[in-house]
Amino acid sequence: MTADKPLARFLVRGSALLILLLVFWWFLLLNPLLFLLRDSAEIFGTLILGDDSRQFVTETPSGDWSFRVPLEVVAPRLPQQSGPLQIHSIDFDIARSDVNAFTFSLPVFWAIVLAAPGIRRSLRPLIFGTILVAILEIVLLLIFVEISARNAAAQLAPQSGWTKWFLHFGEYLVVNVIPYAAPFPIALSVHRELRSQFCRWGEGTPIPGGRRPGLQSGAARNGRPRSKKQRRRDMGPARQS
Amino acid sequence: MKVSHGLIGICGGHARVEGAVLRDPATGFAVEMRDGCNAVNVTILLWSAVLAFPAPWRLKALGFLAGSLLIQAVNIVRFISLFYIGQYSMTWFDFAHGYLWESLLVLDTMVVFCLWANRASKYGAVPNDGR
Repeated sequence: MTADKPLARFLVRGSALLILLLVFWWFLLLNPLLFLLRDSAEIFGTLILGDDSRQFVTETPSGDWSFRVPLEVVAPRLPQQSGPLQIHSIDFDIARSDVNAFTFSLPVFWAIVLAAPGIRRSLRPLIFGTILVAILEIVLLLIFVEISARNAAAQLAPQSGWTKWFLHFGEYLVVNVIPYAAPFPIALSVHRELRSQFCRWGEGTPIPGGRRPGLQSGAARNGRPRSKKQRRRDMGPARQS
Repeated sequence: MKVSHGLIGICGGHARVEGAVLRDPATGFAVEMRDGCNAVNVTILLWSAVLAFPAPWRLKALGFLAGSLLIQAVNIVRFISLFYIGQYSMTWFDFAHGYLWESLLVLDTMVVFCLWANRASKYGAVPNDGR
């Protein structure tokens, strides 16, 4: 029961911080984060997906984001055309509300890390994890843009059933699963104390064929070299088997 | 839906169930319980984690059952709260529906899994560390 107490405290603190930080994000942080995300997407999108001839992403007067993604598509011939249509890039708009999801992981990550005991000890994981989450959000946005471009292209040149399914599944993961779930494993991976406090299932289990955790070497225990007697005692049962 | 409707009634509120829709007879505001709204995604997440964890099947079955019940309990609170938040403000409804409750459910699922895994390891499960 005592092992459950830190988890219960973490749940209460985490829930309270999630409410606080998400309200803070929704009303104050969303616009600055969207601004940073758009500029980052412009830089990395131009490098990875776009071309230099036109901006990769622009903001429309209504606040939606307009993208131009280079994509080579051959559309079937229409009755009024002489031949098939070669398309070199796809332009499309994404509603501003759809882009919000790509800034949402940050406050969730902050809430989890700050809910861990010891705020001072959480500073380094907080900074390191924030960088990781920010990178992940940019990558997710770029994947979402690429999938949206391919979906738009599918209206001109039909795709196979598998491709459609794969794009739909990818979009679901990128928009509805990863932004919500990723902050939790990232927090656990960067915050050692959080991990050791809550993932206790590795504790006290025997290590097959190895040293027993309680029989650490004398040097490791107190910085002094071990005596012969100590060494014999440490090695005894494990060597015999 | 029926549990939510019953709880609202017990607490003195008024609501009407129309299939998968919960409606306030006074304001006409209604919320619909769709496939994704029944916490199926986080339940699958929990089941996957429990299934992947090296524990006896008896403990896994307990994890499936108790974990799903806890998640469903939280989801009922979520559904009722959204029913009232929506009547107050649609902006707050969008925020609570799209972001706040989603992350609270994932947090809840993570804690439920950690609680179960800690207990499962205490009662004899030995994680396979790959060696």
